[in-house]
Amino acid sequence: MSEVTLSVKNLRKAIGKREIIKGVNFELKRGEVFGFLGPNGAGKTTTIRMLVGLIKPTSGSIEICGYNVVTDFTKAMSYLGCIVENPEMYSYLSGWENLQHFARMLPKVDQNHIEEVVNLVRLQERIHDPVKTYSLGMRQRLGIAQALLGKPSLLILDEPTNGLDPMGIREMRSFIRYLAETEGLTVLVSSHLLSEIQLMCDRVAIITKGEIIKVDSVDNLLTLQERLIWKVCPIEKAEVILSKYTNVTKSGDEELITPFIEGETALWNKSLIENGVEVKEMNRKLPALEDLFLEMTGGESVD
Amino acid sequence: MINLVHNEMLKIVRRKKLVYVALIIAVLVSLFTYAQFKEIERRIERVGSIDWRTTLQQQIIDTQNRLTSSGISEEWKGQLSLRIQQQQYYLDHNVNPMEPGAPTFTRTFAENSITLFLPLMVMVIAADLVSSERSAGTIKLLLTRPVKRWKILLSKYVALILSVSIIIFMYGFLSYMISGIVFGYQGWSAPILTGFTSEAGELITSSAQMIPQWQYLFMEFSLVWFVAVIVGTITFMLSVLIRSTPVGMGVMLAALISGAILSNMVSSWETAKYFFMINLDLTAYLAGNAPPIEGMTLGFSLVVLTISGLVAILISFIVFIKQDVY
Amino acid sequence: MKNFTVKLTYVISLVTLTLFLVGFTWTLQNQFFSEKTTNVVVKEEMVKKDQNDQNKTIVALGDSLTRGTGDIEGKGYIGYLVEELEDKTNEKITLQNLGVKGYRSEQLVNQLQQTGVKEQLKNADLILITIGGNDLFQSGQTIMDLNLENIDRLREQYLKNLGKIIVDLRVLNKEATIFFVGLYNPFIDLNDAALMTKAVRHWNFETSELLDKHPQTVFVPTFDLFQLKVNDYLYTDKFHPNTKGYKLIAERVSSLITW
Repeated sequence: MSEVTLSVKNLRKAIGKREIIKGVNFELKRGEVFGFLGPNGAGKTTTIRMLVGLIKPTSGSIEICGYNVVTDFTKAMSYLGCIVENPEMYSYLSGWENLQHFARMLPKVDQNHIEEVVNLVRLQERIHDPVKTYSLGMRQRLGIAQALLGKPSLLILDEPTNGLDPMGIREMRSFIRYLAETEGLTVLVSSHLLSEIQLMCDRVAIITKGEIIKVDSVDNLLTLQERLIWKVCPIEKAEVILSKYTNVTKSGDEELITPFIEGETALWNKSLIENGVEVKEMNRKLPALEDLFLEMTGGESVD
Repeated sequence: MINLVHNEMLKIVRRKKLVYVALIIAVLVSLFTYAQFKEIERRIERVGSIDWRTTLQQQIIDTQNRLTSSGISEEWKGQLSLRIQQQQYYLDHNVNPMEPGAPTFTRTFAENSITLFLPLMVMVIAADLVSSERSAGTIKLLLTRPVKRWKILLSKYVALILSVSIIIFMYGFLSYMISGIVFGYQGWSAPILTGFTSEAGELITSSAQMIPQWQYLFMEFSLVWFVAVIVGTITFMLSVLIRSTPVGMGVMLAALISGAILSNMVSSWETAKYFFMINLDLTAYLAGNAPPIEGMTLGFSLVVLTISGLVAILISFIVFIKQDVY
Repeated sequence: MKNFTVKLTYVISLVTLTLFLVGFTWTLQNQFFSEKTTNVVVKEEMVKKDQNDQNKTIVALGDSLTRGTGDIEGKGYIGYLVEELEDKTNEKITLQNLGVKGYRSEQLVNQLQQTGVKEQLKNADLILITIGGNDLFQSGQTIMDLNLENIDRLREQYLKNLGKIIVDLRVLNKEATIFFVGLYNPFIDLNDAALMTKAVRHWNFETSELLDKHPQTVFVPTFDLFQLKVNDYLYTDKFHPNTKGYKLIAERVSSLITW
């Protein structure tokens, strides 16, 4: 399960003299859901368009299942399914005809497979209606169906929950998890919504101003920043004692905040008590990615 | 590749583009059939004769009278006198240039629409072939398939050529069928004179030949088709270059209209003959009409058009393959 | 059904594409590489007279007077003449007006060589001619530089041409009556009109002398019509007749026609 399906090395893109993507590196492994997180205008879409071959990188390499997107375009694309931004389809054709249309551009996709895909996204009832009569959610699902037609190993979804209602978002989320866990696909999801990434991704890359500032598993990112909140008395004394072990910040008149480090906090506690500090309360606090994000990007706006 | 062409044809057919073109042609043909019918009626009333010789003679006299009036340009005078000489040649050889019937109507209608109307119909198909994919966003799906970009563009181009062929065919077919209701369907074998050339305002008839009208029509429509293909190719290029379909159409329309206007006034601006839009009137060479600029020949125009077409294709492909899609 | 339309479109487009490709190749071959032999043969098909055979046909030859220059209604004396005749006889008359503005006698000679013109003349019941005005007046040149010798030369040339015209007409059509409308002097009101008047009279006299040698040929004088009050009958260019003037000529000619 450690097969690399997407490897991006030192990817750069300059428009004129302005570099908008400044050396992006990451790797995706089979069966994982990877989140691509960043505020609007951070370079998410540009990066994704380079991944799917719509934009040529200025330098660096992108390999999908070992095939370079630039030099081995058709091979690389045959392992890829994607939706870039909105899943625009030919609105004057029916959903079925759209799928047929795209199937004809792939090597050997038979009717049965199209039907399978339609069933998978649960569009079978409306598939022969013209796409212009579809709701946004249905279009999104048709988009996924289209992306799955070529039996890809890698699925790239740009803002897949954009414009969906809460019900649709939940559905999409569980569907993506299903694809990764059951079908073994690698999924790259971009979003500007932290909550979404937090809920469906295994790993996440945080991108801002054309650079990835952090790639890590969601769990890691969260535990890394797990804090301990101490309610102690007298607070000055406690601060001095804790400072010997770790970073301490004072919050308000009666709270101190330190990182949570498993196996050590008990020691700190003991030391406090031995020195006659009264520990009223110890709270482990899991921060939301929101806080984390704000901290990392230096307070850039996130929706 | 066949699959790709199939996709493109499907998109053209399902957007009913060809149906619209057919409807426009049908309406226009009906209109012109009626106009011509009225014209003939009026002529009979005026001249009191339906013998074509009388009519033609009268046309010659009318033109001669126009020639004497002051205030017409030298170029126009030259063209008029060439026309007189040609009409005289028809009379001398007892050949009716306007044998009544649907084939004649079709022939003259094609002659009149080769520079503007037919290119317009081709534009209906060609103008948004690429730009509509872009404005609808579907281009992102097209270009992320495991298919090389040049193949996608080529499939679109092939679909365009196929559609152009249908349009030109529909054009001939509809004008024949509709005008035949009024003028009758006869006249396929009527003799037509072709191969006239002119030199210094004199009509040269040494290479003139008389061919049956069906042969003439065949040649004429082949030339019309060629022009349509070239116009289609250039529009196609604009569709690749310009994101907005209306703007692309506007540019092409401006080129065509300026061509039509320039043809009437550029005889002193010689380099204008290298513009593709000045060279669209290929059927005029067949009929032996004076070219807009002295020295232009069928061969010359064909070469100019071919080169324009090739350049357009080259630009389309290079841009389409290199372009970043945002 | 949908698939059928697409397939049909395919088939038609492929067939027509092939057709046009063949046609285009053939056209190139025909226009550039074929032996250029003039294979135009004159179709020998006698001109049948129109269905309205019983109708009388008038062929009018000549210059701007025949064309009707100066008449606001654009009919000219021919137009009014035909109207009058149609009223009189209650018949539809076919008129073929072959007049060209500015024609001089030698141009008329050339015109008579044209096949179409010949055909029409063959079928004519009546031939009307106005010619000579431009020979004599030379668009005003003559009056600017009055010179009897010059006028004599012009007249000799004109008479030669006129003789040829009449002979040619008679070869084409032996029966039709020819009416020749004579000249008037548009400059009669000007100073030293006497010389011009003399020239015009002489011109007319010689013309009618010549015409007398041919049967069924009538000289129609107009000099007297414009002799008095010439300005009432002239158009603003002081040269061509106006509507009134043309009506006068038409009346005169019509009174001479006997059918």
